[in-house]
Amino acid sequence: MATNFWSSSHYKRWLVDRATLRQARSDDILYVDHPEHLGFLNIFFANLISKLGKKLQLRQRVIATATVFFRRFYVKNSYCETDPFIVIAACCYVAAKAEESPVHIKTVVSEARMLFVEEYGIKTFPSDNSKLAEMEFYLVDELECDLTVFHPYRTLMTLCGKEGGGSFPEAEAGEADADDFDGPRYWGTGEGKLELQEGALQMAWFIINDTYRSELCLLYPPHIIAIAAIYLTLVFHAPTRAAIQQAQAQAQPRASTSNSNSHPHGSSQSHSPTRRSSRSMKKPLPQHQHQPQDIVGFMAGLNVSMPLVATVAQEIIALYALWDRYSEEPNVGPAFVQKTTRKGRSAGKVQAQPPAQATAQEGQEGAPVTPMFLVQLLLAMREQRIEDMAHPASGRPVAVNKMLERTQAAG
Amino acid sequence: MDNILVTDPMRVYRAKRDAARKRVTDKYSILGFISSGTYGRVYKAQSKDSDGRIHAIKKFKPDKEGDVITYTGISQSAIREIALNREISHENIVALKEVILEDKSIYMVFEYAEHDFLQVIHHHSQTLRSSITQPVLKSLTYQLLNGLLYLHDAHIIHRDLKPANILITSSGVVKIGDLGLARLIHQPLQPLHAGDKVVVTIWYRAPELLLGAKHYNKAVDIWAVGCVMAELASLRPIFKGEEAKLDSKKNVPFQKDQLLKIIEILGTPSERDWAKIKDLPEYQNMRRLDPFANRLAQWCQSRIQASGADLLSHLFAYDPDKRLTAAEALQHKWFQEGQLPTRNAFESLPSHQIPPHRRITIDDAPSMMPMPAAGSQVQAQVSQVQATAQAHLSHSHSNHSGKAGSAASFASISAGGGTHTRKKARLG
Ligand SMILES: Nc1ncnc2c1ncn2[C@@H]1O[C@H](COP(=O)(O)OP(=O)(O)O)[C@@H](O)[C@H]1O
Ligand SMILES: [Mg+2]
Repeated sequence: MATNFWSSSHYKRWLVDRATLRQARSDDILYVDHPEHLGFLNIFFANLISKLGKKLQLRQRVIATATVFFRRFYVKNSYCETDPFIVIAACCYVAAKAEESPVHIKTVVSEARMLFVEEYGIKTFPSDNSKLAEMEFYLVDELECDLTVFHPYRTLMTLCGKEGGGSFPEAEAGEADADDFDGPRYWGTGEGKLELQEGALQMAWFIINDTYRSELCLLYPPHIIAIAAIYLTLVFHAPTRAAIQQAQAQAQPRASTSNSNSHPHGSSQSHSPTRRSSRSMKKPLPQHQHQPQDIVGFMAGLNVSMPLVATVAQEIIALYALWDRYSEEPNVGPAFVQKTTRKGRSAGKVQAQPPAQATAQEGQEGAPVTPMFLVQLLLAMREQRIEDMAHPASGRPVAVNKMLERTQAAG
Repeated sequence: MDNILVTDPMRVYRAKRDAARKRVTDKYSILGFISSGTYGRVYKAQSKDSDGRIHAIKKFKPDKEGDVITYTGISQSAIREIALNREISHENIVALKEVILEDKSIYMVFEYAEHDFLQVIHHHSQTLRSSITQPVLKSLTYQLLNGLLYLHDAHIIHRDLKPANILITSSGVVKIGDLGLARLIHQPLQPLHAGDKVVVTIWYRAPELLLGAKHYNKAVDIWAVGCVMAELASLRPIFKGEEAKLDSKKNVPFQKDQLLKIIEILGTPSERDWAKIKDLPEYQNMRRLDPFANRLAQWCQSRIQASGADLLSHLFAYDPDKRLTAAEALQHKWFQEGQLPTRNAFESLPSHQIPPHRRITIDDAPSMMPMPAAGSQVQAQVSQVQATAQAHLSHSHSNHSGKAGSAASFASISAGGGTHTRKKARLG
């Protein structure tokens, strides 16, 4: 299991295609003005899980697991027929147990109430533990008891030699010797190890955090997401990019002559990429210990589909474009307009947004989408849905118009 | 309508799910009661599929508040056992077929195993009054190590290996069971000792745990294998100590008697055997015990062949770093010489020596069993009817749980179902 992603429940049962996701949202989409709103909901829910997780002092990996549980739940369910807020609380509660860092149910209920009722005005959130426990039961059933989740963090850390050993592509399974409790084991010479600057590693980590705002974790294996995040880091982390450009400029003349040669780096062990992939290397590696690694070459040498990585990278960029039109201001209202450093929290986001596009969009759409808007939207979706179910004879409503009226009335 | 949204926004969802859910008694006839353990009760059951396969169904204790069964959160132990079992698959690990969540109870459906190590030991000590033969001992130990190797390779420590948790099928294949204390140790977010203060049943507990080590590893399972192997060979626990109970502040006490039992046979550990021993919290306490010399070889003399005894002494290495790993143990010469281990551990036995079938009984908690007279066919019909009714009706949850609370069980599911009044779902 832990040794092998390819035999895990995650790989075997929980990677789905776009068509499945479309099907999963086919009811919800009837009740929103614009399909984009579903994308905003993805961001909103992930933010809520993260906020609740932090209040519960959950580690990042636990928060990520909770988010994956949430996404999986909504592969089989609709927002308009459920209460996503209790689902969120249950996801955090179960994830904490699944990741062996349990939190008492009382704590989850009280923290969730504090967050949902007080910050977001969601009055339906129950105050009684048994309601959350009941939701947990249904959640575990929906998850088909598959509670072990793989995350891109592990690939990132393994590739960078930060935790344990292991070689790619089994890296997803990370081969850290778990018996080593005295701390992470660093790779000796750094063979087959990606050498990211500290800031770059952190940026890749943050980009991975950000991917949970989308449905990527349902669509792609975690190691692909990790590699896409590293790619984006190479582009957006200025010092890393500069280093790469410089290295390439130096390597260029030699590269053109060595293309057909046998590997000039054949004997340089410490900086060679993973052995099996050295064949695909085109550019010579630095001969010297202290020169920076040929990161691009290292990446190209990984045994993964690069077009797939590029697709994921594009989807991450698309997420940032959408996210840029979203404002995480729970109490947006005339009395409470105060810009927080929303962008500061996401290292990836800062650099990744194409500024021109962002302004253009804002011009079109007006004010950014806020949590308050989305909370109202969810309530309206649910009301409308119940009405439709109660009066099936009247057929599907023209959701868009009613939606607008309701939202305005409610606001 | 607004009322539902406010008071119970998930009601529609639950009604849908409850209607779609297959119930345990729709799929299985309960044949009898096997055992009641720490976390629940185990039943023997037959699948209603055409294959009619036999299973063991482990029902986790539902939580009660007074008389009413209520949701209080799934235990860490159940979450572990479920989560780990969903990821693993190996011939020497008992296979989980499915999990059914129903009426606030969790049912884990396992492949059925006719025997277990404890029963084999009893059978030999009580009925046959002779020791387990060397070929059987060797095969059981080999298969146990083989299953353990799989777990350890998957970064899982079992933490509760003992005869009652190691099962054997009717065709003599060993199946490690009860992953209720097991955990994944791959990149743990918290050190292991933070989660569970006490692991492993006292007689099978490794010396590093007894000495209060904060860090422990797979080697604790290997120690337990040694204890199990010795128990198979002698038909009684090799280190049968008295457990010192947790004090009122839940501090873990020094397990003096258990450690003494170990030392009496293996001798007092020296710093030469185990360099890090002096850093362990209970080291000073241990030094106050009388010194003993190692007499394991004598202990083995009448019980285990020479190279089997050599294996045992390496499973009982005091220093966890020197203890054999599962992989190393499987390579031991004992398994390569003489009669080799067999896939059917009982292969060499005449049929009258094969342990008898697992005894099943009527549940002592009366509500847990189908009514004896009813027979499984009638019961099947009842539950069929009920299932159909269930599919068409959705019920108010609160209404129904109060009633079922006093007897959430197999019997009440089929027999008591009709007594509840259910209203047709009204969504509007
Ligand atoms: N698959 C099975 N087949 C037959 N008997 C089983 C099976 N699983 C468990 N049992 C019996 O039930 C007992 C308790 O099961 P176990 O899983 O160890 O639960 P507990 O956590 O309560 O100890 C076992 O000791 C064994 O006798
Ligand atoms: Mg047990």
